[in-house]
Amino acid sequence: MNLHRVAAIAYKEWREVVRDRLFTIMAFGIPVITLLVLGYGVSLDVERIPFAVLDQDRSELSRDYLHRFIDSRYFDFKGEVSDERALEALLSDSRIRFAIVIPPRFGQRLREGRPVAVQSLVDGVFTYRAQVSKGYVAAINGDFNRRLLLDHLARKRGLSRQRGETMVEPVQLEVRYLYNQAIRSRWSMSSGLIMLVLMFSPPFLTALGVVREKENGSIYNIYASTVSRGEFILGKLLPYVAISAINVMVLWWLVILVFGAPFKGILLFYLPASLVFVVCTTGIGLLVSLLVRTQAAAALLTIVITFIPAMLFSGLLVPIESMNPEARFEAHLFPAIYYLQAVWGVFLKGLGWKGLWQPVAALVAYAAVIWFMGLMLFHKRPGR
Amino acid sequence: MTWLQRLFTMTVKELKQLSRDPILLVVIAYFFTADIYIAASGIHMDLRQASLAVLDHDHSESSRELIHRFQPPWFELKGELSDTHQARRMLDAGEVLAVIDIPEHFQRDLERGRQVSVQMQVDASNSVLGTLVTTYATQIASRFSQEKAQELHGRLKLETLPAVLDRHRVWYNPNQNDTWFMSISELLTVITMLSLMLPAAAAVREKERGTIEQLVVSPLTPAQILLPKVLSMGLVVLAGTAVSLFLMIVPAFGVPIKGSIPLFFAVTALYVFATAGLGLFIATLSRTLGQVVMLVILVMMPILLLSGAWTPPEAMPEFLRRAMVLSPLSYFIEMAYGILLKGAGVKLLWDSILGLALLGSLLFGFGVWRFRRQFG
Repeated sequence: MNLHRVAAIAYKEWREVVRDRLFTIMAFGIPVITLLVLGYGVSLDVERIPFAVLDQDRSELSRDYLHRFIDSRYFDFKGEVSDERALEALLSDSRIRFAIVIPPRFGQRLREGRPVAVQSLVDGVFTYRAQVSKGYVAAINGDFNRRLLLDHLARKRGLSRQRGETMVEPVQLEVRYLYNQAIRSRWSMSSGLIMLVLMFSPPFLTALGVVREKENGSIYNIYASTVSRGEFILGKLLPYVAISAINVMVLWWLVILVFGAPFKGILLFYLPASLVFVVCTTGIGLLVSLLVRTQAAAALLTIVITFIPAMLFSGLLVPIESMNPEARFEAHLFPAIYYLQAVWGVFLKGLGWKGLWQPVAALVAYAAVIWFMGLMLFHKRPGR
Repeated sequence: MTWLQRLFTMTVKELKQLSRDPILLVVIAYFFTADIYIAASGIHMDLRQASLAVLDHDHSESSRELIHRFQPPWFELKGELSDTHQARRMLDAGEVLAVIDIPEHFQRDLERGRQVSVQMQVDASNSVLGTLVTTYATQIASRFSQEKAQELHGRLKLETLPAVLDRHRVWYNPNQNDTWFMSISELLTVITMLSLMLPAAAAVREKERGTIEQLVVSPLTPAQILLPKVLSMGLVVLAGTAVSLFLMIVPAFGVPIKGSIPLFFAVTALYVFATAGLGLFIATLSRTLGQVVMLVILVMMPILLLSGAWTPPEAMPEFLRRAMVLSPLSYFIEMAYGILLKGAGVKLLWDSILGLALLGSLLFGFGVWRFRRQFG
């Protein structure tokens, strides 16, 4: 390995990147824009569910009950309708996602001390939203029922509120959230997005850089030169690793500054771990570029093996715990899952080398395998 | 040659060119079949086997009864811990998601009619998991609490007390089958990606290789050069959609098609046209494929992640929700789910169809106009 030649190739590649001004802007711009747009936009909080009501009772109690939904930040009141057909039309036109039907004599029955069935209709297309909204309805109903019951007990048996409370609910669950006390999805999401960005942007840069030489035919200059395979790959990829290393810093800074996420760990863990990850994903780009001949194919293949795993199989949007065994296995084939553990660990849990050496070790092994495969697959005497 | 014949010849040329890139074809086939299958069958948004540990300071019958309510498929008990330090260590290492802490004299206090609180520590570094764990655990605990209340005060019978009973009905997907939503969402994602990327790549490749000059000096008009790229790639995408819908999504996951199939393909074609228009517009902005890919990624990601295909769009900030008027996918999502799962027809969907058609014509017209300025 002649370091002089590596430096020459790296310099040549760097010049090429810098000369394509749009490409340069994108190389630094895409990570930042992605982080900002998705960090603000992607949230799995289920809030402001649009809903409508059909109140067939129109008593004081029914209005009181409905206001628990109308005043909640989880629901967005879209109005009252006069019959069930109208609700159906609104639901199938996706103007509302949820509806409540209050039966006649709702207030009267409750005052007489009898139970009343209230219908809630949920648009089940988006299963996660439907499930979470079911939880909200249960919570609002539970709260309303407790008050009804306390009033009832006070009226009928003269029990004090506190005594009634113990009778109605002897066991309480107190939940304490660790690492993210206000359970802000923005904290998890923005720090997690560092993983998404670093998973897909280095491979794109690399794959396009190498395939461009193949498609243009300029790679024949390399084939004909004295540069060895290892020197070419190292020199070719160094600028892309460098660009991504700068992005690692910029993203870290943005997540803290713009999204207010806490950084409880140490930079001496975050930086080396991120660098290993970037080397990993740059290597993925190299592999892609060795498999394909056109840039369009390179782009699509890169999406398949980086973007989709990063989004769906890393634990960012979908918990790994909820996957079936095959999907969980697939998730462990990509480096995203290990790096996400490291990022969340260092940002939110304040862990360092002691707690997180395992995922980093996995990444190092991953990088070694990928680069070795790349070296083996690259030939200076192509078959065709 | 007539105008249409030329269009046809150019479309055939594009298809031939595509068929000569075997890896690209394999990737496209993968997208419409295996990718959708994996995403739909493997991914669930409900809680499964969340690992849980217990700190039981009471060791009574009641405490064991409560602990054993945390059962699979939702929870998986990882065993009992001896002290809080161990609990914290396991939470830090991510070995367990939550720790339940049952206080001393749990049973005694219950029997004496005192209110007892049970503590639960939840790892919220992943907010989705944290929320799910809390939701399920709260439901389990409150059921336990209710039953205890009835046990302790036998005379409190629910039927004779005032209460609102929830008659919960889920429409369009009554069994809450995750795969229906996931498979269709993934299909929409694939359609979006390909109809953005393929025509744009086909257009800029001519620029990069210089073959565009030949086309410009031929008797072809700009529309006759650009439209075949959309037509050919649109055909590929529609064929792929048909394959994945009839050979994958319906047979493998039992998704019911409630609405009209021709209408679904008509709106899909309209969507492909609109998205391809956006792709062509990007192609006129760039000189090389590298640039196209970068720009495509830049517009694709917000479109995919913010239109409501993966996350509930209502919770987004107001300005982003407004901006989604410009995303063709936000119209298509309503229509695709509307037709496939809700059985909606033109009568309900006309506004989305109109919006998409307007947006598509605008984008496509803009693309042709830019192309004309560059090569006219």
